[in-house]
Amino acid sequence: MLDAYIDNELEPADAADLQAHLALCTGCRGLLAEREALGRLVRRLPYYPASDQLRAKIARSTRPRFNTTLLTWAAVLALAASLGGSVGVVRFARARLAGDTTAAVADEVVGDHVRALRDAHLFDVRSSDQHTVKPWFLGKLDFSPPVEDLAAVGFPLMGGRLDRVAGQPVAALVYQRRLHPIDVYIWPAAERTAATETRSIRGFHVRHWIRNGMSLWAVSDLNDGELDEFVRALQR
Amino acid sequence: MPHQTFEEVVLPHLDAAFNYARWLTKSDADAEDVVQDAYVRALRFFSSLRNDDARSWLLTIVRNTWYGRFAKARGVHQPTGYDDVTDDRPDDGLDPEALLIQQQAVAKVQRAVRELPADFREVIVLRELEGLSYKEIAAVARIPIGTVMSRLARARERLLTILGPSVARTGEQS
Repeated sequence: MLDAYIDNELEPADAADLQAHLALCTGCRGLLAEREALGRLVRRLPYYPASDQLRAKIARSTRPRFNTTLLTWAAVLALAASLGGSVGVVRFARARLAGDTTAAVADEVVGDHVRALRDAHLFDVRSSDQHTVKPWFLGKLDFSPPVEDLAAVGFPLMGGRLDRVAGQPVAALVYQRRLHPIDVYIWPAAERTAATETRSIRGFHVRHWIRNGMSLWAVSDLNDGELDEFVRALQR
Repeated sequence: MPHQTFEEVVLPHLDAAFNYARWLTKSDADAEDVVQDAYVRALRFFSSLRNDDARSWLLTIVRNTWYGRFAKARGVHQPTGYDDVTDDRPDDGLDPEALLIQQQAVAKVQRAVRELPADFREVIVLRELEGLSYKEIAAVARIPIGTVMSRLARARERLLTILGPSVARTGEQS
């Protein structure tokens, strides 16, 4: 009670009651004085500000970075454009995306994942309900991505967003394990099926597979073992 | 906060994050590690910051990072030197002798606070050095407001017991 009074956390009526009591009670006045004195001393304790080095380090590590992947793609597309005209560019991009076994696409997907985190734009639709997330994509994409909540096996669905990979609109679903978000990128593939491929790019773990004509890319900083567990759950 | 960047919203609370981490870890190096990790996490979860209380949100992440990385591994921390009382605040016009007594008292308090269990230490730091409300402390430490109140009361009782009446009297002079 005295502590809440000192900290200005009492309701006005309670504070008034306490004040009335303090006026009469020397013992409580003593306790109050003791606590107030302690408070004055404690507030003189050192306040540790961050060092300039730490400040610089954190500013560096959280500053938006110039995306070299995108630059590479731009150069490739510019070259393609100069050779084959704009129709060629689109075909080239689609072929790239449809083939999507290349390291370049993996790099692109990781780049997008990092960008989504950096720009704090993981969600266009935020829901753990697959029956909310799946219809949300209707009319926004020319395909319907498979959406399944995996909360039962410890990977709750958090939501999704419309994204672009190599200029193509794709579906991105977001799952979570503890503090680690898992992005799953989905778009139509040229093939019907392909086995799971494993990659690690810039500290992110990547899994890619094709199922029922859909190309899926899972990207996360979650450890390899748990990401594999996630992929198996998604493939069940 | 859709229109504000991470740099605008979260970076300004770096000092608060470091001070809190420094009091939790009792070491500059560990505090730097915790704060760096916490900022990486904060960046990742910036989209989950829904209200405008970025400081409490960041301090929660600092706390979780510390608990995740250090608390278990370290166990009981070795007490180290108490020579870092760097008090450049106004001296309230005390004469040199009174000032010295007060500095000694603050050093004693610092030692006492460092020796408090982490649960008590953090409520004292969040309340007295960060000036957080009970509600904000409850959010950071993930405990009910009633627990914040009782923990603060018990932490202060303990400090008063450790310090004895003479130190409290020194505080009265300032």
